[in-house]
Amino acid sequence: MVTIENVSKTFNTPSGQVQALKDISLTVKTGEFVSIIGKSGSGKSTLLSILGALDNPSTGSIIVDDMQINKLSGARQTQYRANKIGFVFQQYNLVPNLTALENVMLALEFGGYPSNSRFDRATQLLESVGIEEDQRQRRPTRLSGGQQQRVSIARALANQPAYILADEPTGNLDSATGKKIFDLLHDLSRSQKTTIIVVTHDLEIAGKTDKTFTLKDGKITTV
Amino acid sequence: MNVVTRGIKNAVRSPLKSGAIVLMFAISIALILSMLVARGSVLAKIEEVKATAGTAITVQPAGVMGNMGGGDPLTAAQIANITSTANVSSISSTLTDQLGTDDTNLTSSLELGSFGQRQQRFETSGATETTDSQATDRPAPTPRTSVTGTTDVNSIATDGGDLTISSGETIDGTSSENVALVGSDLAAKNSLATGSTFTAYGETITVKGIYTTGNAFQDSGIIMPIATLQTLTDQAGAVSSVIATINSSDNVAAAVTALETSLGDDADITSQAESAATSVESLQGIAGLTTTGVIAAAAAGALIIVLSMFLVVRERRREIGVIKAIGGSNRKVITQFIVEGLTITVIGAVIGLILGVLVSGPMTTSLVTSSAGSSSATETAEGPGGRGMGGPGRAFNQGAAQLNTNLTQVTASLTPQIFTLAVGITLLIALLGSAIPAWLTARIRPAEVLRTE
Repeated sequence: MVTIENVSKTFNTPSGQVQALKDISLTVKTGEFVSIIGKSGSGKSTLLSILGALDNPSTGSIIVDDMQINKLSGARQTQYRANKIGFVFQQYNLVPNLTALENVMLALEFGGYPSNSRFDRATQLLESVGIEEDQRQRRPTRLSGGQQQRVSIARALANQPAYILADEPTGNLDSATGKKIFDLLHDLSRSQKTTIIVVTHDLEIAGKTDKTFTLKDGKITTV
Repeated sequence: MNVVTRGIKNAVRSPLKSGAIVLMFAISIALILSMLVARGSVLAKIEEVKATAGTAITVQPAGVMGNMGGGDPLTAAQIANITSTANVSSISSTLTDQLGTDDTNLTSSLELGSFGQRQQRFETSGATETTDSQATDRPAPTPRTSVTGTTDVNSIATDGGDLTISSGETIDGTSSENVALVGSDLAAKNSLATGSTFTAYGETITVKGIYTTGNAFQDSGIIMPIATLQTLTDQAGAVSSVIATINSSDNVAAAVTALETSLGDDADITSQAESAATSVESLQGIAGLTTTGVIAAAAAGALIIVLSMFLVVRERRREIGVIKAIGGSNRKVITQFIVEGLTITVIGAVIGLILGVLVSGPMTTSLVTSSAGSSSATETAEGPGGRGMGGPGRAFNQGAAQLNTNLTQVTASLTPQIFTLAVGITLLIALLGSAIPAWLTARIRPAEVLRTE
């Protein structure tokens, strides 16, 4: 379970301080498929970064499975991300010099997966997200946006994380491909009881999730 | 694929960029190597010049040179002063004299010749006037026999080693017996052999041995213990020349200064070290230049790697953020970039070493030839076939024979210490050059990197 209590986040910018999140509190139960919606600049991605320990809040606490992650050391937060979190980004963020297969194997390496079974595990994951055999040895630049996002999802699933945090996963895809990706995430949450938190501005996608939080100017306005 | 393989693979992900970095670094490595080799050669030459100059200092009474000039011999007090001078490890004293026909029954083995006649043209043997009309009354000049009294008979040897005794045995320079070593030419002229006797200064001298130096003047002389000659010539304690041996070539200059201070105007002091100093000074200038070159080339190499890796890391900030987001630790990120930096560096170093082998021989030759042409430095620094090389650029156009020459020259100069130093500097540059920018980026929170990219 994820519990966010009174989280605020302030950034220092050249034009002064910007408060991206203002006293946010929310709870996500294990296995839920949750969406966070809001306009651009409302603080959605910042909230997701704090949930994934990519950043720390200025105030407040984030408790994930009884562990206050914002109090962990940098090394422990890295460990937390490797074992408990799977990220899916709008820009896919695959490592450009590595093939689709190697990108998935990279996450397995960081998760401490035995080296002799990484290949089989990565192959199986890519197969499950619909990446064909000939596409697995391709570098990201030789894959379509939809294929890259599938590889990104396979990478996010590599270490069987308890939580998948997806930041606009369909934002760069056409509607048909976006729907396929969303269905893939939806199936995962159902079949593997993975908690999925999706940041989106697509109300149609948000309408299909178990719970939707709306952010406006750094505050949750509706649940 | 582990972090090492990833680092190596990343090093060649952009062949053009990596190639440019490798080439620039290779040039700096080649320069470092060339400068180290040049420095090694020059330092070796400096040592050689110092060693050739020797550690001997000659002290003679002021105004005296051999049997020429005039002045008072060195006294026992002055000898004691020389002996007690700092860094003087030993001394040998010499007193020289000449035997005329009245002094000995020996016949000189040297022909007087026109030179000898000119040297004796003022001597009149008792004449009180030197007018031209009386010159015809002078007895005809006769060649004389040199006699050397010494504490160390080996100091007479002309080759710097021990005196060669062709028959009989050597004499003890510290004794006061009426014994002598006779030069081979003089012995032959007077039919002397070991055990023979001759007369000098009214005393009977026993020949203990015959010596040979290959020098006609020396082989026509007589060597005696210095005390014997002092007694025979009634010059107790007199010394006409002292050779002081210094404990180290580095201390020769200091010893000369100390002796000049203590003996003042009473003695003329000469040492080969002084004459070698000019050569050594110019070589030391080159050594300093090469040291600066090594530092400059190493700094350039370090700058190339540091700046290149800084740019590489900077343009891959997002990748670092992603790696950290999916669970990659700082250590993994830094290790990956270190391996990447080391790969580029090692490739660059190998090419640089090859370039270094090609250019260091001619460069050393060029440096030493142009700056120390007056000394004998070129003979040593220049390897076989090295003469005539115009500079590094031409080396590429030489054939396999030239490459062989350079290899021989470099391997002769490239000691394990120099090689270890070069490898050490290179690896340190690569290590710091990759680790620092990677560390600076890895310590930034992933969200910050992903947000700003």
